[in-house]
Amino acid sequence: MSVLGWRALLVFALLAALPLVPGMSRYYLLLAFDALLFGAIAMSLDLLMGYTGLVSFGHAAFYGLGAYATAILMERGVQSVWACVGFAVVVVGLYALVVSYFATARRGIYFALLTLIFAEVVYTFFRYTQTFGGSDGIQGLPDATVLPGLVIDTPTRKYYLVLAYLLIAYAICRVVVASHFGRVLVAIRENEDRARFLGYNVPRYKMGACMISALLTGVGGAIYPMRSAFATPDLMLWTESGEFIISVMIGGLGTLVGPIIGGAFFTILRDKVSSIVDWYFIVIGGVLIVIVLFMPRGLLGLRRIFSRRAAA
Amino acid sequence: MDYVLTVLLPQLLHGLVFGAALGLLALGLTVIFGLLGVMNFAHGELYMLGAYAGIAVIGVAHSFWVALIAAPILVGLVAAVTEMTTLRPIYRREPLYGLILTFGLALVFREGARQIWGGDMRRVLPPFTGSTPLLGMTYPNYRLFLLAASSLILFALWLFFTRTRAGVVVRAAVQDAEMLDGLGVDVRRVFTLTFAASGALAALAGLLLAPIFTVYPQMGVEMILLAFIVVILGGMGSMGGSVVAAFIIGVAQSLFSLWMNPQRVAIAIFGIMIVVLIVRPRGLFGREGVLE
Repeated sequence: MSVLGWRALLVFALLAALPLVPGMSRYYLLLAFDALLFGAIAMSLDLLMGYTGLVSFGHAAFYGLGAYATAILMERGVQSVWACVGFAVVVVGLYALVVSYFATARRGIYFALLTLIFAEVVYTFFRYTQTFGGSDGIQGLPDATVLPGLVIDTPTRKYYLVLAYLLIAYAICRVVVASHFGRVLVAIRENEDRARFLGYNVPRYKMGACMISALLTGVGGAIYPMRSAFATPDLMLWTESGEFIISVMIGGLGTLVGPIIGGAFFTILRDKVSSIVDWYFIVIGGVLIVIVLFMPRGLLGLRRIFSRRAAA
Repeated sequence: MDYVLTVLLPQLLHGLVFGAALGLLALGLTVIFGLLGVMNFAHGELYMLGAYAGIAVIGVAHSFWVALIAAPILVGLVAAVTEMTTLRPIYRREPLYGLILTFGLALVFREGARQIWGGDMRRVLPPFTGSTPLLGMTYPNYRLFLLAASSLILFALWLFFTRTRAGVVVRAAVQDAEMLDGLGVDVRRVFTLTFAASGALAALAGLLLAPIFTVYPQMGVEMILLAFIVVILGGMGSMGGSVVAAFIIGVAQSLFSLWMNPQRVAIAIFGIMIVVLIVRPRGLFGREGVLE
């Protein structure tokens, strides 16, 4: 637990108390589910973007594949959370192995575009394969079970499922970032050539970062149908990958916590604005532009500015 | 022989027509990539705005030809203003920010178009109809015009880049903007004008293709992926490479669709790109050290 620190534990304790808030409606619990799931995936992406310096435009494929892994098993009567998550890890792992092998051989924009193109292949495959429901995807899935008799059927239970996932994913990311492996990743981000001259096998490290990020994202995808009861090809659309990137940027690159906040902020913003106006994409695009122009460090960077003022 | 004349040849021409228009789109993209080090995600939206601006102008002036002049100018202006207000402040930052910024711009443009013109499909009537007998088959006049016009513009651009001082300046900016700045050229103006011109080219492609395709707010999203593939296939920063790759992709897509259903075509195109990147990591005409 020491990897988390007391502040993180406190935040998780507060989050765990959320369903106890009087008047907590079903709607807000499910919104909280989406917010935390999106935040966790943005955090997984941050491992790649913020720490290794690789921008993946294909994370939607890891996410969507995880969701389809769950949906395919559930459609065939397997309802165990463990089986679904395990299957997702295998499927996403195999796919991520291929993508990361080819994509990490290249830098910068090539990496972004290779991940994008690979993801489009997966999207196109599911979009047009009737076995998996084509453009409708797989709908009407049953509730998942954690243990025999313990069914994830209420919003509160769904919320605790995603909270457990976030906690584990956050702990893994913290361990990775604090490890020697994590420090090599930062070295690669800062100066790839120098890291290579120091004798590190740079492509292997990049591949490792890519795999961890992809698997965490895939598990997040595997959890999504346990709340929504469906998986559709739209989960894999490249604009979805773009929304993950947006979340990381909103929160603050290379901070882990920032992207969680960014993902949650993005989800809530989208939900709230879209219930008021139907041109919410203009608002989201506008927020993104403002953040790039005026607060490149994201929401967490804002905190740094305020604390500096307080100190002065 | 019959198969060649009635099936293969028309499809090959379709591919060339599409490839030429795709070349217009990809050329602007690759030049902007050279200048900013950023894949302009909003490029597809400028293409889309070109088609809508064309529809708007046709509504007022009732002439496709007026629209063909006015729409690229209008979109070029939009691009220039966009460049000055949003891209200029972040030139010195990491390319990542430009990527994210243009993604945000794309969202705003796409949704803006949907709000102004609605989400449903629109059609633009070709300015002339009929077809011409050609090599033993008949081929629609408008498509022939499209091929001729696009090729002519590409040729004019080639002359511009190789024979005029302004063209050399743009190429110099692609190569090393800082050095150009040191030589006393107003690089900021070069950037703005180039961005505007690339937007105008995208708009031109959008309006030229509108009578063949349909016009809708999402139309840029599908094209931009294809344009990205063209730019990578041709080699980042290589303008000639982009044009050659545009024709290759146009013809490949057109011929593949004879034997495959659409999703297989898409996967085959993605497959070509992945194989090329593995065999020739810098694309067909990319040189070592360009933007790496």
